[in-house]
Amino acid sequence: MSDKMTITIRKRSWIEWSGWAIWFVGILLIVQNAIGSAQELEPRAALILWVSLVVWLLAGLVVWFVRKDR
Amino acid sequence: MADKRNLKLGRRDFLRVAGLGAGAAAVATVAKPTTVKAGSQGAKFTDPAGRVNRPWWVRTVDQPTTEIDWDVMQRYNERTGTVRGPGMAGYVGADEVGRLDEAAAKNELQRMIDNVDGYTLKDQALAKAHVALGWSFLGPQKAPTPEERGVPKWTGSPDEAAKIIRAAMRHFGAATVGFIELDDNTRKLIYGVDPDGKDMIFTDDPVASETEDARYIPNSCKYVISYTVQMSQETMRRCPTPLAQQTTSLAYKRGQDIQASTQEFIRGLGYQCLGESSTNALAISPALAVLAGLGEMSRLNRLITPEFGPMVRVFHLLIDLPVAVDKPIDAGIMEFCKRCKKCAEACPSESLSFDTEPTWETRGGWNNPGHKAYFENAVTCRAYWREVAGTNCGICFAVCPFAKKDKAWVHEWVKASGSMVPALDSFFRTMDDAFGYGVQASAEEWWGLDLPEFGIDTTMSVREG
Repeated sequence: MSDKMTITIRKRSWIEWSGWAIWFVGILLIVQNAIGSAQELEPRAALILWVSLVVWLLAGLVVWFVRKDR
Repeated sequence: MADKRNLKLGRRDFLRVAGLGAGAAAVATVAKPTTVKAGSQGAKFTDPAGRVNRPWWVRTVDQPTTEIDWDVMQRYNERTGTVRGPGMAGYVGADEVGRLDEAAAKNELQRMIDNVDGYTLKDQALAKAHVALGWSFLGPQKAPTPEERGVPKWTGSPDEAAKIIRAAMRHFGAATVGFIELDDNTRKLIYGVDPDGKDMIFTDDPVASETEDARYIPNSCKYVISYTVQMSQETMRRCPTPLAQQTTSLAYKRGQDIQASTQEFIRGLGYQCLGESSTNALAISPALAVLAGLGEMSRLNRLITPEFGPMVRVFHLLIDLPVAVDKPIDAGIMEFCKRCKKCAEACPSESLSFDTEPTWETRGGWNNPGHKAYFENAVTCRAYWREVAGTNCGICFAVCPFAKKDKAWVHEWVKASGSMVPALDSFFRTMDDAFGYGVQASAEEWWGLDLPEFGIDTTMSVREG
């Protein structure tokens, strides 16, 4: 058995990094507005935003899953 | 040259960076985009007249967004013109007023017996809890004047005067404060006749006075203080109920308190300060507020402010202390109203205009001609108050897309968009509905809410200095 391990680091393009940065900022903004809406006692707005967050997270997960082996 | 691919990040370093990132994200999440640097308790005014910083999307303009024809404008008879008090009988007759009053009393009792949400005994008790301290044209006149103290009266530049008055009035509880100087045109916004029937007469006498028939305003009292007092959105969104009705009662009571304190403060400086002798007396409040840059007219035919939307009551005072005056603003509110129409759709008595453009044509004697506006049918509005609601209404205030708190950043973005990109107004109106804003809330639920004093957020208009 070999005691060597190979780690492959793939450099992402700046466009891909930007895409993930936007995705992350999107998470922050949706969370802020969801929490803010709850503080404003606007349950429907908060619910829509929490659902939007789940959709946003899933979208990121799907994109990551599809692209991870490229 | 370092090979970036060979850079190592230890587990401990990774956790530290991740922790910092999460912390920054958490701070960014809870902080407001317009948070005061020194906190809401310590930001200094950078404006020489103490003007608070408005949102960046509020533009100062030379002419208000409501067109005015000063040649048509006349001083208004508040006694018989509006539908308040005896004015209503002038439009529908005393018998109809009596019938409406009877219906209101009958409904009030029956709803209390039936425990209708928002009309229960505790709601009715709250609605009647606000005992008025009393308005006064000349003020309490209790504070010692500089003359009585044996010192000269306060002197300072108009900027300094505006600054200290703003500071004092915000301390007394005013949300926003603006100033204008009366000229031959704007003097027409001072009532010709006050609500109690007294003539309002400008005079060369240096000191204001009041008789049984008239109030005399010295020509030297040509500076107007226009100010707003916040109303609680949490009670107003439960309209029309007695619980919501007391929102306005409380705001008027606070307005009285601010007026009396300001009158005494100005007196203490050695100047005159003339106030409203009763609710909505002395002058046309929204008009003065528009000229002082506190907000814009709207489809409600009431003032909408950039900071609080329509959730304010508007008041005014006349003083002879020269102050730095303000200009009207354009925050895209009147433009938004053209496309929105949410208030008109929600109005149960169909009293608000559905016209896309404002008009010069008034709908009755309760409207003062000479400005281009969305005139309302005040008679059908008032009849609904008495016959159906049994209280005042306020649905148009509650559903307005500008009636928002400021916890969620999205409201600021929408307001900014309304000011900068009017083409998106219809989209945001649709989204306002979709997100459930303006839906009547349970009155019973309100009794269990943990709300700040007066039910308002006093930091909403505080911005970076």
